Amino acid sequence: MTWLAELRTAALVGTGRHDAPKPPDELGFRAPEGLPREESLLDQAAMADVATRTSRTAAAAPSSGLVSPAPADTEPQASGEAARLLELLLTQPPVGLELRTQLVVDWLRFAEETRRRVPHRLLPALLLVAETKSAVFRRLEPAIGTRGRWLKELKSPSSQEAAAEWSELGSADAAVELDRLRGLDPAAAREQLLAHWMSLSARERAGNLALFAGNVHDDDEALLEQALDDKAKSVRDVALRLLDQLPGSARAARMAARLVPLLHVKGLLNKRLDIDLPPDPDGAALRDGVPADPRRGEPDRLARLDAIISGAPLDVWTSVSGRNRAATAALVQGEPRILDVLIATAAARKDTEWARALLTVRTDRRLLVCLPAEEREHWLERHVRESGDDPLTLAPLLQDLPQPWSVSLAEAVLTVISGKDGGQLAASLAAVLPTALPPEANQRCRQLLERTDDDVARRRVLRDAVQYQSFRQSLTEAFR
Amino acid sequence: MGRWSEDTVMKAAPDSSSLAAARKLAHPGPWSESGSNDVLVWGKCQGSGKTPYQVSVDIVAPAYRCSCPSRKFPCKHALALLLLWSRGEAAEAGADAADFAKEWAGQRADRASAKERRQAEQPADPEAQAKRLAARLALMDAGIDDFSRWLTDLVRTGLATARKQPYSWWDGVAARLVDSQLPGLADQVRDMASQIHGRTDWADHLLLHAGRWWALAKAWKARDTLSPEEFADVKAALGWATASADVQNTESLAGPWLVLGAHRSDDGRLQQQRTWLRAPDGTMVVVLDFAAQGQGLAAPQLAGAQLEATVARYPGSAPQRAMFTSAIVPQGVVKSLGNGNSIMQALEQESAAVARSPWRTRHPVLLGGVTVNPEERGWLHDPKGHALPLVDAPLDSLLALTGGHAVDIFGELDDGRFRPLTVVVDGMVVTP
Repeated sequence: MTWLAELRTAALVGTGRHDAPKPPDELGFRAPEGLPREESLLDQAAMADVATRTSRTAAAAPSSGLVSPAPADTEPQASGEAARLLELLLTQPPVGLELRTQLVVDWLRFAEETRRRVPHRLLPALLLVAETKSAVFRRLEPAIGTRGRWLKELKSPSSQEAAAEWSELGSADAAVELDRLRGLDPAAAREQLLAHWMSLSARERAGNLALFAGNVHDDDEALLEQALDDKAKSVRDVALRLLDQLPGSARAARMAARLVPLLHVKGLLNKRLDIDLPPDPDGAALRDGVPADPRRGEPDRLARLDAIISGAPLDVWTSVSGRNRAATAALVQGEPRILDVLIATAAARKDTEWARALLTVRTDRRLLVCLPAEEREHWLERHVRESGDDPLTLAPLLQDLPQPWSVSLAEAVLTVISGKDGGQLAASLAAVLPTALPPEANQRCRQLLERTDDDVARRRVLRDAVQYQSFRQSLTEAFR
Repeated sequence: MGRWSEDTVMKAAPDSSSLAAARKLAHPGPWSESGSNDVLVWGKCQGSGKTPYQVSVDIVAPAYRCSCPSRKFPCKHALALLLLWSRGEAAEAGADAADFAKEWAGQRADRASAKERRQAEQPADPEAQAKRLAARLALMDAGIDDFSRWLTDLVRTGLATARKQPYSWWDGVAARLVDSQLPGLADQVRDMASQIHGRTDWADHLLLHAGRWWALAKAWKARDTLSPEEFADVKAALGWATASADVQNTESLAGPWLVLGAHRSDDGRLQQQRTWLRAPDGTMVVVLDFAAQGQGLAAPQLAGAQLEATVARYPGSAPQRAMFTSAIVPQGVVKSLGNGNSIMQALEQESAAVARSPWRTRHPVLLGGVTVNPEERGWLHDPKGHALPLVDAPLDSLLALTGGHAVDIFGELDDGRFRPLTVVVDGMVVTP
């Protein structure tokens, strides 16, 4: 045992039970005679302290962790006012956190346009924001430059190698990986899932298949038909939901064959559409998702009708009625439940033509999303100006619009907001309004702010809008 | 005193909410009658009340005065005014000071001179002074005796027992040391409580520190045999403050002084700022600033700045504590801090400093051509393959600034670990 180890033992146990060690001769230390144990130990501790600190040598370098240096940056760094504004946004944001996120995104976009990069010293703070704000994360390139990419890679090495062995990933990671692949190459994702299908649990089969919902395609039909025969109900349900989105599929044709006999056009002049309830489902219909008889009580025949309508092509309706889509939609206007299923079906299939037709009989957020952005905006603007709806019903529709809004839509919305009951709409649009308003609306916001107004929420939203615009103006000038 | 940068103003804020509130006020709208001269910045801010708040700031020895009821120093009005002034948007220089600012500055000057007078009058009574000194020495002697007994008890019952003690036990010992006018020792003992509960090598840490305290107590008892420098180091370690008036009267060293780097710490009760300076002949000194919680520290000097100023050194061994004895005139910034040392050289310097004064724990070094390794809490490597573990290091920032390339880094060696304070990259001296 070395002297230091003996000293430690004696100190830990206490000199009441353990003698202090004898100082090593090579230190040339001669303790006075007759020293109490405690003092001898403390003397030696003092010596050990100085000896340790004066004899320190460099540590052996850890073998791992060394990084290869970053290559040189090609773009010049943003300097002066632009750098200062980014630093301000990252360290002491003068606006709320949501607006801060948007302004950071704006900064990155300006930097990209003027071919500037983020100053190296601001990269850590920016990457920190990007960790929680996906909008910032998506905009990092190319403004962070070579150094930024190097730093990002260092902090979270890309998982390309892990992706090769998909079956070895945990189910959550596997789902993330499959979702990523589905976005890049839908066919490859389908092949991957198919290859591992048999080894997955029912939960994993259902969960992974559900990832296709965003971009399901005719090519997926074979896999979905196979999933219709799956022993797990959860998997079958997912497959049915996805097949509902494919009006060209064999199942859609089968559903059309079930739907057509139920629809009858009556009346010579005043045409109307009579809809029968479907009969009890046979085996094929059960497989296609028409609900079976419940164990107790009456079968829900309306639910059966819903399932058939959701699965059949929408054009069944026009071919039966012999009219165009809008006129056909008018025929079912009096049947709210049928109309609702039709709306859900058109929305799920993102069917623009049917969305337009159905919008003539009912305003529904799900339908609006199917329209091209510009058309949606026109539609909403007209609706804001003309309908006497409760302003609050507009909020969710406006939130989904691409930003910034057109000048005329902004005008229309600000008119509603400045009205008597506009405060509520302002409050529910608080998150989007500042960034959605175009610069041209800034003057109007300032005017509205200047008038006396006791509505705190409204004032705050308008102030945020003005602040955002003025900061954005500073950004424009800084990058000029 | 030059115009503060916005960064300086930000660092003067007591908390981030004050700063956020100040930003909302930092536009010319609510401000009137603002102005500035070499010493003062002042202005009136229209609040919700009828009378505007009167704000005055002393920018040389930072002090703030506002007629608002806020208990924060500086308040949001003072910060907003400084922000405007730093951006050049208000408080133009050269104006005649507003009456309220003049009056406040006058009161401050009166108070300062009254204090000076009191201090100047004191030596007039050497007998009373000697009596006070004797009383203090007796108090400290008794405190050291008590502490020595506590140390022997500690090692008799064993360090393992001490580890089971609650924080309050250590605080009790620290409180007795404070009562005996030994605040420096008290800080170390109080800190030990958390170290013991937090470190894996707590046993060695406590053993070596107990040894250091023991040696300190013995050095105090043998103070008559120490050289003036050695005695000054012991006094500083025990926490016996040297009056700044005593320092001011010593020889002044002329500059230019190069700011090597600065560190700020905050233990919850006291904020401390250490600024390391180097003279052209290589002499290094450290300027310490303190402020209580919620109060602004003196504005930090920019790393890499050349300062035209004279400093006086506190007694003790090198590198000494120092204070500015003249106005500070920034002379621009340098592109490099000079030639750095290898890691072995740095450790040898630390060894020499410990041998001179075993109570000192931090040693300033400039390392040349080192690379940052982000493994664990971070390491520095030098070209010879030696490595030093980092402490308190903002790793992401160091990596972003250096890009993994070899650079010069200035910092403090602390217990065999390196605390980076300043990095030299691309011909710029920056703070990570």
